[in-house]
Amino acid sequence: MTEQVQLHEQGRQDAGLSHAELWFRYFELGGMSTAIEVEAFLYGALVPTTHDSNLIAVALNERFSELGRNHPIPYDEEEDRDRAS
Amino acid sequence: MSDRACDGDLGVAVRFGADEVVVLLSGEVDSINAADLQLLLDALIDGGHRHLVLDLAEVTFMDLTALRVLADTARRVRQPPDVMKIRSPSATTRRLFDITALSMLVDLQAAEADAPPLGPEQTFDAPFGSMAHRSADVPDDLAVFAVVPAAAGVIVDAALEMVTALARATVGGADGVSVTLTRRGRLTTVAASDETIAQMDRDQYATGEGPCLAAAAEGRWFHVESLAEEDRWPSFVPRALDGGIGSILSSPLMVDARPVGALNIYSRSERAFGSREQELAALFAANASAILAGSGASVVGEEVAQRLQAALGIREVIAQAQGVVMARQKVPAEAAYAVLRRRSSKSNIPLRLLAGEIVASTHPQLPSTGNRS
Repeated sequence: MTEQVQLHEQGRQDAGLSHAELWFRYFELGGMSTAIEVEAFLYGALVPTTHDSNLIAVALNERFSELGRNHPIPYDEEEDRDRAS
Repeated sequence: MSDRACDGDLGVAVRFGADEVVVLLSGEVDSINAADLQLLLDALIDGGHRHLVLDLAEVTFMDLTALRVLADTARRVRQPPDVMKIRSPSATTRRLFDITALSMLVDLQAAEADAPPLGPEQTFDAPFGSMAHRSADVPDDLAVFAVVPAAAGVIVDAALEMVTALARATVGGADGVSVTLTRRGRLTTVAASDETIAQMDRDQYATGEGPCLAAAAEGRWFHVESLAEEDRWPSFVPRALDGGIGSILSSPLMVDARPVGALNIYSRSERAFGSREQELAALFAANASAILAGSGASVVGEEVAQRLQAALGIREVIAQAQGVVMARQKVPAEAAYAVLRRRSSKSNIPLRLLAGEIVASTHPQLPSTGNRS
């Protein structure tokens, strides 16, 4: 999870998103955590659920897509698969 | 006084008082009857009733459409001295308000019986109740936030309480945390993790000295590694030792490069705070400073409100698409979301647009609202 946290914070900086802008995008996607909580996820001060973590990844990847890049932030598929099966 | 009821499971009663109109809602407010609610609220505002109180004590469910109606109405009555108050929201509704920052647009109140007309600060039911307690001697100090709607100062305090709770949970060695602010020229504790900590702050105000006061006055952090060996602040230190405190870390809260208060972290142990703890304390102090700096007009600005409105619309569309996938593939909610996410990722179509397409495919007559301009 620590690795994922670093990827997200690094991704946020690479994507040129402020914490507020990232939260807006995360919130649009259906996220239920507050802006302060999302910021705390990125600092590693709080641990997000897999779903929350993936929502942040989607928000970042869609931003990278807008910038004409690939989706560099990986998703955690484990829990999704467990629940789907 | 008149009563009226809307269709469906939503019950509405309207009481016209001398200064305000109280709208009592009961049952479920959903996407179907939210339009009725919108009509009613619009009619009240158009009729010149600009002091609205929405009592949600009997509301059992509220969806995002309903929330959007409330946001719309709150924006319409946002010009002072117009007000819209929300009374007795359930914990879930309250959480939704906090997440959407709608709580910044409206004046949230506890149940009527708990809300004597003392001003919003006293009637506020803290959302993080068990995690943080306001000090007992909260003064009538809304002056700092007088430029923003009355509720904003309260909401800022709530946000600071959350920072306090987070700091306590994440800073190693922390036994208690408080936030001190200058209001009307004197220092006040606006959030404290428990009564002992609130008392530590009060002891500093009473003696006129201590790390918290120094940080708030000088705009730099003060670290008391060992209270037993501390020779600064001779009046305060013995009181802190009596209170069982071993070390203190006070970081300044800055707005516009000016110190306005301090974030104080207390420990029962000596030398509890190393460089990592100092770093985290600085982070939380920066967070608290950002909340304070953002408590001006910009936070409740038109742009943010519109953006939130749009975001709520997008969320609805995604939630509907998620529902479609759940029904079609017989999978639970998060798995359905993962299906949407993978499909979006593979096709490189943003999730909100993909969701709009899925929803449109089931209801061709409904326009998609998933587009971002």
